[in-house]
Amino acid sequence: MASEIIAINEFAGGGQSVGEWLHGWVTTVDHKRLGILYILFSVFFLVIGGIEATIMRIQLMVPHNHFVSPEVFNRMFTMHGTTMIFFVAMPVLFGFGTYLIPLMIGARDMAFPRLNALSFWLTAFGGLLLYFSFIGGNGLYGAGNAPDVGWFAYAPLTSRAFSVGHSTDFWTLALLISGIGSIGTAVNFITTIITMRCPGMTLGKMPLLAWMNLVTAGMVILAVSPLTAAQIMLCFDRYLGAHFFDTQAGGSAVLWMHFFWIFGHPEVYILILPSFAFASEIIPVFSRKPIFGYPIMVAATVMIGFISMSVWAHHMFAIGMSSYGNTFFTITSMLISIPTGIKIFNWIGTMWGGKIQFKAPMLFCVAFLFQFLIAGLTGIMLAASPFNWQLTGSYFVVAHFHYVIVGAILFTLFGAFYYWYPKMTGRMYNETLARWHFWLFVIGFHLTFDFMHIPGLLGMPRRIYTYEPGRGWEFWNLLVTIGTFVQGIAVLIFVGNLLWSMFKGPVAGNDPWDAWTLEWSTTSPPPDYNFATIPVVESRRPLWDLKHPEDPDWKYE
Amino acid sequence: MAHNASSSSPTPRTGAPDAVILPAPTAWPIVLAFGITMLLAGLVTSASVSILGAILAVVAFVGWFRDVFPSEQHETVPVHADSAVVFTYRHHVERLAVAPELARAALPLETYPVSAGVKGGVAGGVAMAVLACLYGVIKQGSIWYPINLLAATFYTQSLYFGTTSLKAFHLNSFLLACGIHLVTCLLVGLLYGAMLPMFPRRPILLGGVIAPILWSGLLYSVMGLLNPLLDKKIDWWWFVASQFAFGIVAGLVVARQTRIRVHQVMPFVLRAGFEAPGLSGEKDEPR
Repeated sequence: MASEIIAINEFAGGGQSVGEWLHGWVTTVDHKRLGILYILFSVFFLVIGGIEATIMRIQLMVPHNHFVSPEVFNRMFTMHGTTMIFFVAMPVLFGFGTYLIPLMIGARDMAFPRLNALSFWLTAFGGLLLYFSFIGGNGLYGAGNAPDVGWFAYAPLTSRAFSVGHSTDFWTLALLISGIGSIGTAVNFITTIITMRCPGMTLGKMPLLAWMNLVTAGMVILAVSPLTAAQIMLCFDRYLGAHFFDTQAGGSAVLWMHFFWIFGHPEVYILILPSFAFASEIIPVFSRKPIFGYPIMVAATVMIGFISMSVWAHHMFAIGMSSYGNTFFTITSMLISIPTGIKIFNWIGTMWGGKIQFKAPMLFCVAFLFQFLIAGLTGIMLAASPFNWQLTGSYFVVAHFHYVIVGAILFTLFGAFYYWYPKMTGRMYNETLARWHFWLFVIGFHLTFDFMHIPGLLGMPRRIYTYEPGRGWEFWNLLVTIGTFVQGIAVLIFVGNLLWSMFKGPVAGNDPWDAWTLEWSTTSPPPDYNFATIPVVESRRPLWDLKHPEDPDWKYE
Repeated sequence: MAHNASSSSPTPRTGAPDAVILPAPTAWPIVLAFGITMLLAGLVTSASVSILGAILAVVAFVGWFRDVFPSEQHETVPVHADSAVVFTYRHHVERLAVAPELARAALPLETYPVSAGVKGGVAGGVAMAVLACLYGVIKQGSIWYPINLLAATFYTQSLYFGTTSLKAFHLNSFLLACGIHLVTCLLVGLLYGAMLPMFPRRPILLGGVIAPILWSGLLYSVMGLLNPLLDKKIDWWWFVASQFAFGIVAGLVVARQTRIRVHQVMPFVLRAGFEAPGLSGEKDEPR
């Protein structure tokens, strides 16, 4: 009952005026509230990015379509990519990390609570500034409003000669601001994990979610910094007469590619490692077994962190690198499949012989295993430079990276939503609706992204506005668009389920999954201070030890 | 929640404080973030926006500093009386009574240290290089021929320059070949170190004969597909001989090293995470 009261107070502002409630959220430095703010912000932008994707898919549904103009289409794919990567995927993962890390390592808050708030608000205002371009981006000469240079904004398209007005500047400044926020969050994660673990929690006993977020945070600092520097250089090019990316004045367009992709490819792993972390927490609990091969999971995570920093130019095979360059980046890109393969084997090893419970979080993680495997296989295909030369810039590449981002990252994210929803709100979600969400999303996802490979193989270029009939692309594009709508319906069910359950769902209790990590040892939702007394742990599964004093884990670790 | 609770063993918490001190809420982070955003947004809107942003940022900086200096602002939060309890829904299970002698590890209890693999790899690499250079001098009249050929596995353009070029010294090819040879020999040496304990009775047969034959056979069958030009340049008898030389020397060196006990003494069921208490040595006290 106490949990129920706290839940209602937390979300509906029970006992407070609207002003007080709003003031509480705006001025908060509590990691849990900031985590929820990150997540809500991301869900808001997920809906916007989803609408942009739907507009693109309607446009491509049939040949010779004119649902939107070519200019609007360019803005849609630019804003969709930018939104989904910078204002959905990264913030939502930061949100879960911000919420969970202190709880899982037995701390009362992040190391720098105020920096935590600053980081979130910078990200939020960065996103709002990007979308303000629709209103404020009308520059000179009747130029377009929102950015339309693609999410990786290659030079010289971003130069003032080809991008008049301010649309590109909004893109640059929004990413610059949110990038500062991302670096702030990364610094906070690292400091919190290194310095604020509860007594007994050595690095070898730390939850895998904390480990993977630690590596991710290091990668964020290394990868986002070059992008931030490049944004500043681009501003200099556009307004101060610099020529970093101006090929006609001694600059280099390829330099921008290097700057962008030295951020862009580690970014994939920045997004996937927290997803791995969700899977590594959910799969053991619903298999009723500890994670298989904890040390090698940690080692594989660190290996991914290192190797991912040396693969960026596989996005650039088509620019004509030397055979040494092609060979190096082919090898490193293929090499990264080793630690990721280790992880897949370990998750299967965890499930092997377990008493598996197919609740919604586990369903999403099992689907993730299959889909991530396929995404990895097409990744290996694209890592081979001769293959890449044929298919780069085609819908095959689009299908591949959506398989990673939707099939792997979004699926584990949905799993994480369902898994920690009872902890965050104190309420259980509706399992039946969650299953409807799962199956519809699986069907929609495979309709969309399985069949998207085929027009790519048939030569359909990415970012194409429309196409001629008779090339064999029509049927596949129609299927892909139908799949998009099925996914949209599934997401509506998901959002509806979470909203309905927040007020009408049954009270969850502190530990509805009979789980083993520290966040489940406190109330749902947790109090402001997380833990009345700072816990002391003796193994990787502290709650197992408490629940089974006759057979604790520390005997075997 | 429709759990089948079979047991409930609450663990009471004791010693909880009445109140906890936490960082106080503050508006300065959002004001600073908004100020920075306005400051930059002014570049694409109006200078007045930047000026407003700068003012907000400065005010927020000052406010933030006053928040944390000379001492950080805190709030005291009372601790709820209903502290969380920990319990499980899991069925209790009986401990398996397995005789200790049955808990036998299937993996070798001893293996070679990493240094054995490194030594084996280096020694085998030297033997292989000597034989390959001998081939170059005897059959091709140039010590650089096999070196250039090895470099050509990565730098295929060199094959187009003809046999004369392959017999000449090229610094790039030399460095590349040295790198390839060193890395490959070390990796194979490490592999030998890991694999030889699995065939304890005839390590030299595995390392010196079986593995080189398998590897050479694999390369022979696929090289025509992978790189037909390189395939034509390889003298396969000498190639197999150099593989034997590597395998025998590396195997001998590895096999002569002192073995160490492996850490994987725990039975597979436990390493796989099965709930099987009593199958291995257990600690009495937490570390």
